[in-house]
Amino acid sequence: MLRCPPQADSQPPQIVVTGVGLVSALGMGWKDHEQAFRDQRTGFGPVSRFDVRERTAHTAALVDLPDDRLFHTLSARTEARVDHGTRMLLLAVREAMTQAALPSSDPVQAMIIGTSAAAMQHGESYSRTLLTSPRRVRGQTTCVEHYQPQTQMRTLADELGWQGQVMLVSNACASGANAVGTGLELLRSGRAQCVITGGYDAITELVFAGFDALRALAPSGLPRPFDAERDGLALGEGAGVLVLETSAHAHARGATPIALLGGYHTATDLHHLTQPDPAGAAAVRTMTRACEMAGLTPEEVDYINSHGTGTPFNDAAESAAIATWAGDAVSRVPVSSTKSAMGHLLGGAGAVEAGICVLSLAGQWLPASLNIRTPDPAARFDLVQKFRPARVRSALTNSFGFGGTNASLVFRSV
Amino acid sequence: MMTDATRMPPLVIRGLGAVSAAGWSVDEMVAAVSERRTIPASVVPRADGTRDWDATAKLVPPAPPGLLPKHPRLRRASPVTRFMVAAAREALKGVEFDPQRLGILVVMTNACVQFTSRFYNEVIHTPALASPLLFPETVFNAPASHLATLIGASGPVSTLIGESNLIAEALRLGGLWLQNGLVDHCLVIGAEEADALALEAMTYYHKRLVGGEGAGALLLSLDGEGPRIAAVHGPFSYANRAQRRSALQHMAAQVAAGQTLVDRAVGIDRLDRDERLAFSSLAFQTQHHPLEILGECMGAASALQLVLAARLTQHCTVSLPGTGSAAFAVEVAAGGR
Repeated sequence: MLRCPPQADSQPPQIVVTGVGLVSALGMGWKDHEQAFRDQRTGFGPVSRFDVRERTAHTAALVDLPDDRLFHTLSARTEARVDHGTRMLLLAVREAMTQAALPSSDPVQAMIIGTSAAAMQHGESYSRTLLTSPRRVRGQTTCVEHYQPQTQMRTLADELGWQGQVMLVSNACASGANAVGTGLELLRSGRAQCVITGGYDAITELVFAGFDALRALAPSGLPRPFDAERDGLALGEGAGVLVLETSAHAHARGATPIALLGGYHTATDLHHLTQPDPAGAAAVRTMTRACEMAGLTPEEVDYINSHGTGTPFNDAAESAAIATWAGDAVSRVPVSSTKSAMGHLLGGAGAVEAGICVLSLAGQWLPASLNIRTPDPAARFDLVQKFRPARVRSALTNSFGFGGTNASLVFRSV
Repeated sequence: MMTDATRMPPLVIRGLGAVSAAGWSVDEMVAAVSERRTIPASVVPRADGTRDWDATAKLVPPAPPGLLPKHPRLRRASPVTRFMVAAAREALKGVEFDPQRLGILVVMTNACVQFTSRFYNEVIHTPALASPLLFPETVFNAPASHLATLIGASGPVSTLIGESNLIAEALRLGGLWLQNGLVDHCLVIGAEEADALALEAMTYYHKRLVGGEGAGALLLSLDGEGPRIAAVHGPFSYANRAQRRSALQHMAAQVAAGQTLVDRAVGIDRLDRDERLAFSSLAFQTQHHPLEILGECMGAASALQLVLAARLTQHCTVSLPGTGSAAFAVEVAAGGR
């Protein structure tokens, strides 16, 4: 890993990734994830956190957090009020900061985090209690207070000793990618030199029931992205965090860049609230513009970590979009969906998958799309079905959300 | 997001829109606040079951016939979407813009809380029958998606959630999009809908706190004529009441005494005291307290404060003290280039 020289002032600064933090059902941290991909392991198991007996699907990729205290500077009482999602986010932030050699949050000028459900766990608790009594109930004030995502983020910031307001982006399943992309925009504009970006989500009853009601969850419990007979997605939970800096800032403090964040674009698909445009026009636009920003042609992209949920509509649209974007090069572009192993992390997906792109660049390997029996003929790209060592100089990740939010991020090796 | 206010580009406010308990236009909102009209509050009952205390709100009246467009996306959409669409269309009226070069930034605290509580009630009571039509409408960015579709805005569209004063961050992000050339115009909208569940939650802060609902929209660009966002001060972070008091003092120290203050007072001393004390040493010719008239409408409140400030012809300071994490102040300069 090389150190990047400072950039001339006239050009947008080069943006580097100096830290990555990952939490998912595959493990805690970079090493656990790399090992899980090498072992082609999945993280799915039965859901016991809430009642799923009347649901079509009964599995998800849940994260069991350590029993130890996670918050070191705040009281146990305060920690008890922190929701599961924010706890996962804290662990991911810590890993990213450690890797970035940031002993404190002092150099961090912004925190931009994506989430789709935020602290829904507390909202559900508040609602259930409310329904049981016509009277005001003791404890509800705390529940109301801590349901608000800014309260959770304030607690996180306090633990980190960070003064500022955490910006929460909520664009459904593209939230994490949009948060990372917003961090990139902020750094390129010169308004900040070091930011923490990422995304997180925890599985809650409302979210699980919602996807189940939509019949979007795989009844088999196992997602098969890009399989001809795929039957839906499986939910996961976790957090992904990147420390982004201008290369000059990283250089000045002696930090080691792991990868470059070269491109980002976001666009809106106006087709339908929940279904993607079958041609994936907005996705074509985000991939094209993000690559233009990164100075890459489709032929030069060595890996795509796809949105690849495993639903019939999403994978068809994404396959069409990749084919249009790549043109004649489509059969040579390696593509996989890591949701096949860790599930769909919703607001956390884009950030975790951005982190996986960085791992892939650093380790020179490609994670696989698991659980495939018969590849969908529409997936005309090089569908990576087994973990493989590879020369990876660039990696693109796609995120597409409810509401039509599309986002692509492009990373390059340093 | 923490950024240096002085490096923000000057943002011209090209259009304004408002939906509130006063009606479906900026004119009605400004008149109600300026004249300090009394808008009656309604008790909002639980959809399921009863309660032994009142949760009240100043509700948006029914939309005037023909105001909202006939569009499939609006048939099932939540009230907050309708408020947002109406405010956005008012802000865009008479302004030439390319929909593909229009960014949309939405800020909300509670968002589609009506559908969310309905859906979760179904999940609890009739789990096998929870409606697939309701769930997508509970997602935070569903209203922004509907609005983008109605306008044909296929560029960046983003929803920010959290504090009621989040619009200050949205102004900065919109400025960034404009500065980076991603868009030519940016709609910044704050919106909220009232619901028994959310209103009851509000009463845990104070029994007499009256809720509200609505939307405020500002159409921004880097050029043209109109009032300007002259500065965004903050965030002034805090983690508890004592720190908040101090943060608000710092916030007030950033702004110059001047012509008009648009504050966030709701008319309850315990909730308003810190903000009032922070500004007590500054002399303003006029002070407006829009939430005393319109109700506490959270994510929409700050947007409505800004819309009011932009419509007044004086230099205005808009106080956005927040409740949980940080305070901001926005200075809005009178029209012209």
